[in-house]
Amino acid sequence: MQATAQPKVNWHSRRQDKHRRMAALNDLARGSVIPTADIKAALERLLHPGDKVVMEGNNQKQADFLSRSLAGVDPQKINNLHMIMPSVGRPEHLDLFEKGIARKLDFSFSGPQSLRIGQLMEDGLLEVGAIHTYIELYARLFVDLNPRVALLAGFKADRAGNIYTGASTEDTPALVEATAFRDGIVIFQVNEIVDDVTDLPRVDIPASWVDYIVQADQPFFIEPLFTRDPRLITPVHVLMGMMAIRGIYERHQVQSLNHGIGFNTAAIELLLPTYGESLGLKGKICRHWTLNPHPTLIPAIESGWVESVHCFGTELGMEDYIAARPDVFFTGKDGSLRSNRAFCQLAGQYAVDMFIGSTLQVDGDGNSSTVTRGRLAGFGGAPNMGHDPGGRRHASPAWLDMKQDDSLLGKGRKLVVQMVETFQDSNKPTLVEELDALAMARDYKMPLAPVMIYARDVTHVLTEEGIAYLYKAQSLEQRRAMIAAVAGVTPLGLQQDPQETARLRAAGLVAYPEDLGIRRSDASRDLLAARSISDLQDWSGGLYQPPAKFRSW
Amino acid sequence: MTDQTDARLIPSFVEQSARQRVEGMLDPGSMRELLSPFDRMTSPWLEQQGVVPQFDDGVVVAKGTLNAHPVVVAAIEGSFQGGSLGEVAGAKIAGILELALEACQLGTPTAAILVLESGGVRLQEANLGLAAIAEIQSAIVALRQHQPVIGLITGPVGCFGGMSITAGLCSYLLMTREGRLGLNGPLVIEQEAGVGEYDSRDRPFIWSLTGGEQRYATGLVDAFMGQSLSQVRAAVLDCLQQGVPEQFRSDTIEASLATLGQVDTEHQIDATRARAILTQEQPS
Repeated sequence: MQATAQPKVNWHSRRQDKHRRMAALNDLARGSVIPTADIKAALERLLHPGDKVVMEGNNQKQADFLSRSLAGVDPQKINNLHMIMPSVGRPEHLDLFEKGIARKLDFSFSGPQSLRIGQLMEDGLLEVGAIHTYIELYARLFVDLNPRVALLAGFKADRAGNIYTGASTEDTPALVEATAFRDGIVIFQVNEIVDDVTDLPRVDIPASWVDYIVQADQPFFIEPLFTRDPRLITPVHVLMGMMAIRGIYERHQVQSLNHGIGFNTAAIELLLPTYGESLGLKGKICRHWTLNPHPTLIPAIESGWVESVHCFGTELGMEDYIAARPDVFFTGKDGSLRSNRAFCQLAGQYAVDMFIGSTLQVDGDGNSSTVTRGRLAGFGGAPNMGHDPGGRRHASPAWLDMKQDDSLLGKGRKLVVQMVETFQDSNKPTLVEELDALAMARDYKMPLAPVMIYARDVTHVLTEEGIAYLYKAQSLEQRRAMIAAVAGVTPLGLQQDPQETARLRAAGLVAYPEDLGIRRSDASRDLLAARSISDLQDWSGGLYQPPAKFRSW
Repeated sequence: MTDQTDARLIPSFVEQSARQRVEGMLDPGSMRELLSPFDRMTSPWLEQQGVVPQFDDGVVVAKGTLNAHPVVVAAIEGSFQGGSLGEVAGAKIAGILELALEACQLGTPTAAILVLESGGVRLQEANLGLAAIAEIQSAIVALRQHQPVIGLITGPVGCFGGMSITAGLCSYLLMTREGRLGLNGPLVIEQEAGVGEYDSRDRPFIWSLTGGEQRYATGLVDAFMGQSLSQVRAAVLDCLQQGVPEQFRSDTIEASLATLGQVDTEHQIDATRARAILTQEQPS
């Protein structure tokens, strides 16, 4: 070995590249501020073909001005981008692929665009890297998906680039961190630029992490996705809610939890101040929550059930109510909500006793999926919360209650509850022989089926027929019999052996409403603490301002 | 429930079923339902058209007392076929009004309370529904000479079609903020006029034109009530005490027509302009 032959290594290539790109904007930007009209030209100079670009699309904060502008760049100049997006929710997100501006996509959730993603894949215009859960996607930003450019959204900025995200902080901190500290370029669209940092309600992202700000042509798009109108809660939802409170929350002493966004769990939230109160459970269950600020949680908060709520994002109309309840919600010095999707997902994964939510299909073993054929909807956050994290080490009564023996080497389990009606609205059975996700995986040659929650993580299946305590199953065969026992008149349920079901009920492996001391005829909407959006507003003392689409006055 | 005093847990009048509304309105123990579900007087027409009928055909009629004053109550159940009126449902309302009229003529002054929660004629029973609504209207006009006929529109369905005309014949008409009153429903107007002129999904716009607050401000109803049972009951009692009004709203039809004649259809109307025209506060 010759000591003098050491090749000269450039350890600064990423930083130099960033500075070269930013130098190209010297005549365009005024300090950190890119003029609104020049954004397309700026993107064409800052981006290079093939770049990894992270774009903020959340449930409730869309960098829609930046995504529309990016969809307008010249595909001759900018093409084959590798987009990394937590949520692909807007039409222009996919125009990028149709025009050839982008080619590869790593994402978590696609919701309304799910059908078009499948079509673009079939047309060979879009290549999916992988479909992730939220935390998984954030994690990869710090490993092999380091973004060159981050396109993000905030509520306000000062001229130096300090950012106030507003109540929907959502994914922003995770996306900025992975870009700013890896010599990527951070660009924020904001609704308003103020002169000085003291004009901002608070600083959510400091200016030294931010390279450019641009005032959007119109405020970012936001939609109330987590509002459930109590008028649409049925007596069946009430019955299932009563069973959940009696047979799961009370039995296992569930103190911290995440709720899905369906009407089933909205019913539970509205039953706590009535049915829950009548069972004397206040202060004993449901004290700590990780979830978006559901308006249907207002009556439980107002009647003293809820000690804390940490949120992924906000919900339109809840701003004033949250600001007036800082003992319950996480708020900034300015008084408004501080949400954080990455931390809330972590909290929902590791720190809560229970996840309970709905799904579209459950198979005989207990695997579940929200996939319907041809739609690549992604995972979002449900798999993070809907599994038993192997890294958990702290004990709680509910967690320990899942333990089947006294061994010191055994562990407890998180409760993962699938709460479904046996049939969907369109008379399609929810409990099925095979998930559509398997056909999907075969159609698209995916390495694994898009299963939302795996059977081994599910501890309870709750239907309008009863509760299957799956964590107690001694064998796979018994587990299948338990699910069949609560599957009603679905093809799966019709296979049940009545004598076996009677044995399962006697052994406490399956409970029907009467086994829990619940009379089906008691399950009436009169038990709901609020029966309309108007009732929710009354509970809030007028602080909750329902969005127009939910008002009926 | 351990905390009986928490008023927030009591269902508002708006959220109650037709039968709960009738029971809550009448003095405790005084309700006597006629043609109850156990009499199984169902629509003979719905089943033929693949619609599951209901044993009360979506209307609850009862006799009873309100603060010891004899009354009849008819309440339409909005959750059954949108509160639409067919042969049986309509005949039940007309019949109970005629019973009240008979009672008045025989010396027992009996008032009527109508809880109107209706999209109008039941399309499956078209002509029979229309005929029934005409019978209801004649019965109201006859009864209102003797005793008040009090109409309530509380929502969530509202009162439309032929039943909105019926509402206009009542001695008194009372609304809540969730109630709506209009000849055509929002979807029908949107279909006829176009979404640019009337967007049925723009809820604040719809309520600003047809909601209880606007209808009260424009003088088309007599009271704007709160939504709790006690507030609704108090408003009804108030009308009962006022007795038969000196003039009925439907007698002032000439003045109303003259007002409508002034409307300039060149311009899209909004809530403020509608108020100005109907109250004649400022010429427009």
